[in-house]
Amino acid sequence: MKKFIVCLCVLAALAGSCFADEAKLKSTDQLKTERLAAQRGTVGQFIAEDLLGDKKGELLTTFEKYVDAIAALRQGKVRAVVMDEMPAKRFVNEVEGLVIMNDALSEENYAIGFKKGNTELVGQVNAILAELKADGTLAGIFAKYIDGDYSAVKPEDIDFNKGAKGGKFYVGTEAGFAPYELKVGNGYIGIDVEMCAAIARRLGKELVIINMNFDALPTAVSTGKVDMICAGITVTDERKENMDFSDNYVVGAKQVAVVRADDYEVSK
Amino acid sequence: MKCQSKHYGAGRGDILLGLFGVFLLYLLYTSGFFTAAAWQDFNRRFYQNFVKDARYMMLVDGLKSTIFMTAGATIIGVIVGLILSVIRVAYKGGVPIPVLNKFAETYITVLRGTPAMVQLLIWNFTIFASARDLNTQYIAILAFGLNSGAYVAEIFRGGIESIDAGQMEAARSLGLTYGSSMKHVILPQALRNVVPMLFNEFIALLKETSIAGYIGIDDLTRAGQNIQALTLEHSQPLVMVAIIYLVIVLLLTRFVRKLEEWLSRGRR
Repeated sequence: MKKFIVCLCVLAALAGSCFADEAKLKSTDQLKTERLAAQRGTVGQFIAEDLLGDKKGELLTTFEKYVDAIAALRQGKVRAVVMDEMPAKRFVNEVEGLVIMNDALSEENYAIGFKKGNTELVGQVNAILAELKADGTLAGIFAKYIDGDYSAVKPEDIDFNKGAKGGKFYVGTEAGFAPYELKVGNGYIGIDVEMCAAIARRLGKELVIINMNFDALPTAVSTGKVDMICAGITVTDERKENMDFSDNYVVGAKQVAVVRADDYEVSK
Repeated sequence: MKCQSKHYGAGRGDILLGLFGVFLLYLLYTSGFFTAAAWQDFNRRFYQNFVKDARYMMLVDGLKSTIFMTAGATIIGVIVGLILSVIRVAYKGGVPIPVLNKFAETYITVLRGTPAMVQLLIWNFTIFASARDLNTQYIAILAFGLNSGAYVAEIFRGGIESIDAGQMEAARSLGLTYGSSMKHVILPQALRNVVPMLFNEFIALLKETSIAGYIGIDDLTRAGQNIQALTLEHSQPLVMVAIIYLVIVLLLTRFVRKLEEWLSRGRR
């Protein structure tokens, strides 16, 4: 019994020692020697790895979900989370005590991913994407989500082309990346989801969303589990070696560092 | 339980549990949980996580999926386990089936020697890579069921071997074949011994299915994560999921105890 109480005391002491004073962060340059977090398999992870260099093994923690990374940040287990700006904005708006550092880490382009060599489908989707851009459909979808409040968007309002004659069109995504994809009740909403629905309608097929972990998406598309993957995927040279990409549908999406507000001093 | 309290003296477990409870309350107290503001905040978050837009239904649907997979996997596991164990026991008892016995041995070694998670991923992304219209839950049932079969086989083998050899000898000397001695004399008795352990395996499976989210199934655990992604709140959905698992496991455990008592009636 005594041992049990001693254990508790030691735990409490450890917990207390975690809150030592540190100088506040001023710029993203400082992140090179700090504990960072990112979602596994995302471009945020690659950027954090580049930042940390040799120390990535020691300082970088990757999580399966963004929510986990943000929780680690709030608990002080990491000093910053590297992620895309739009989901980061949502976290900062909804979760108290978080800010985005002013200097962005990089700018990225998003595209849809395909199995390597599936040029026929890439061609079809590129043609449809060009149409969607030209007739303003894509801009309309972005406008719906861009202001950060999309509580009015209901999954049942999105036309998945149910029962289409052309069969089913499987799209893999990770529905924890608002405003691009989000699971609401039994259905899905988001920019990517609506864009994929528009693509499926023009292909004459029924859209079926397969929701999985982000790091499982490349496997899913290369094994043919899904026809394409659409999850705010950044185009990188390394990824191009293993899959084909459509034309970009988002250009210049910023990668930012989310930090605790009380740990950040805005530089002049 | 009765037998435990005889051994350890009354209520030692209760004291430990009480201390643990006090410790939890202390933690909550130090984190400012017992202030009116915190209580309001708790209620607001509770509303957001579970009540708003009937989000509790996500948990209900997840629970359905979890129970469906567990039940399906248990059925497969019991059938596979029974067959494997009979093969192994029969071979040991002199029935000339070396090839089948080798197969059973290898099966048990491989399936028990690799993590269920890895098996699940292999089933979904390698073996059933092209099965796209098949409900992923069936793949999960197969993966969990075949995995469980290896464990159940060992449970059954232990059960069969615990029956006194004299039973088999008596049955054989009465003119029964090996097969019917097994079917009518040994297995009914063995079954009585292993039923509680089978339910324990069922309980273990229930918790094991929590990895199904990796292949895109919205089970109970994943449903909690989906709510996290919606509300960006970390603790409440997870704790709720944990409570639901715990309640089910406690109910099942109580049932197993009653079953044990019932099975061992008149045996003392």
